[in-house]
Amino acid sequence: MFRSDAVSEVEQLPDHRTRLEDRRQERFRRVEPRGKRVHTARERAEMLVDAGSFVETTPLRAAHGGGSGVVTGWGLIDGRPVVIASHDAAVASGAIGEVMADAIMDAQRLAIRRGYPIVYINDSGGARVPDGILALHGCGGIFALNVEAQRHIPQISLILGPCAGAAAYSPALTDWTIMVKGQGHMFLTGPDIVKAATGEDVTADEIGGSRLHTETSGVAHLEVESEQEALESARLLLSFLPSRVGGEQRIGDPVPANPRAVDALPALVPEKASVVFDMNQLIDGVLDNGARLELMPRHAGSILTLFGRLDGRPVGVVANQPACRGGILDAKSSVKLARFVEFCGRFGLPILTFVDVPGFLPGTVEEGRGVITHGAKVLKAYVDAASPKLTVVVRKAYGGAYIAMGAKSLGADMTWAWSNAEIAVMGPGGAVALLHRRALAAAEDPTALRDELAAEYRENVARPYVAAEAGIVDDVIFPEETRGRMADALRMLTHSEGGPR
Amino acid sequence: MIHARAEIVGNVWKIVAREGDPVAAGDAVAILETMKMEIPVVAPTAGHVSRLLVDEGQIVQEGDPIAEIDATVGA
Repeated sequence: MFRSDAVSEVEQLPDHRTRLEDRRQERFRRVEPRGKRVHTARERAEMLVDAGSFVETTPLRAAHGGGSGVVTGWGLIDGRPVVIASHDAAVASGAIGEVMADAIMDAQRLAIRRGYPIVYINDSGGARVPDGILALHGCGGIFALNVEAQRHIPQISLILGPCAGAAAYSPALTDWTIMVKGQGHMFLTGPDIVKAATGEDVTADEIGGSRLHTETSGVAHLEVESEQEALESARLLLSFLPSRVGGEQRIGDPVPANPRAVDALPALVPEKASVVFDMNQLIDGVLDNGARLELMPRHAGSILTLFGRLDGRPVGVVANQPACRGGILDAKSSVKLARFVEFCGRFGLPILTFVDVPGFLPGTVEEGRGVITHGAKVLKAYVDAASPKLTVVVRKAYGGAYIAMGAKSLGADMTWAWSNAEIAVMGPGGAVALLHRRALAAAEDPTALRDELAAEYRENVARPYVAAEAGIVDDVIFPEETRGRMADALRMLTHSEGGPR
Repeated sequence: MIHARAEIVGNVWKIVAREGDPVAAGDAVAILETMKMEIPVVAPTAGHVSRLLVDEGQIVQEGDPIAEIDATVGA
């Protein structure tokens, strides 16, 4: 009896195999690329990870007699596990239905549970209408897990096709969003619905293209030329990050700074405080001469935010960029800065702040944009950030903007000023006008008196030694010492028995 | 017509290009003074300065056109 059963099961095996192979074949047929797309959902996942390491989870999951609409799985990037959810536009245009949402949520739960970064490859027309409110319920579930994941793991969104309606909110709840030019689009309502609702005639690029979102709106953080470049950028981004909150930092081999940039440092910053220069050259003279990744390079360009390394250790760099809008702080650049600092703090990346700030941009436009609220986000982000915070004032730091740029009072572990720096409650021009109003009004030659008083103010009030004597900068240093001082401080601040605090 | 535009609110401190001047992309056509900083207004593309649209001392808003650049004539 027992024996004959076993024989009959063995006899059925070839049948099972055939059926499984059929299913798999059917599955691969379903993911053929369409339209402008270069690669299938599965190929994208395979290309993202180290060669041959991708393993698909629930490959046979099905909906409406077809695929689930998403390829989920895991693989290795530089030998470390990551979880991937890659929308399959060949199934109902990647529209998110009940089953697809379940598959994405399973991937999210896996990533959170195991502490692995997750990469979402987005290519979706939005909610799957035939699934009705169950599709909306599923989208909401994805959002909830996006938020939950923020507390645990890095989340990266690649926009490789449309990302419309409900689908557009998920990337906005992740850490960094990368869009492919001319191919990735994000909008709540596409051109057709806009036309019907308001009569506005717009193209997909105008209402949700990579240029709009990486320059104007700030919804996306990097624009790339191809699917391949998007996948490579995600790998580069992850190379600076631990796998999870509290995870080990990815220390590489120390590389010296570019020697030519180091040599140029002492003469780089123009003596005249009103003349602009390129802060990138200054950063080159401090960081390791190796991989960098600047985020939001074309949005709110008066603030630079980038990942790099110092003595092999990944760091987040924040800097004023005098070459763009004078390096001012305003509502938009505050949001950009606060978001970056918050991210670095969450993932334990040391925050290096380079300061040359004329102030917060005054005026009705900025006040109307809520610069107070957005500026306050910067203050909160610095205070909250638990990672090491090092700040150097390289030229000027005036007023509230001095505080906002990672001042000692916000919890900076070490602060320095270059010997020619000016730190003061106001710039010399404004201070002299305020303090000597009567004398200036009575003067025969007000311009000469103003210049004289401004020079006096610079010498007596704004000199970095005043700040150093008060203990609000730790030391006054020469430009070429910056790298060494920062590296020494990081060695001290990251040394802790039993791992980082 | 392509415009060189103010990237920030400010006072036109100095106009550095003259009508008819050839410019390369990134060349300054004027310098604004804002927050005691000298902020260049640059040509977005190569061409000739066909018209200057502001005077020195004038207050301009973010996005205001400062000069017209005719890109059809090579720089």
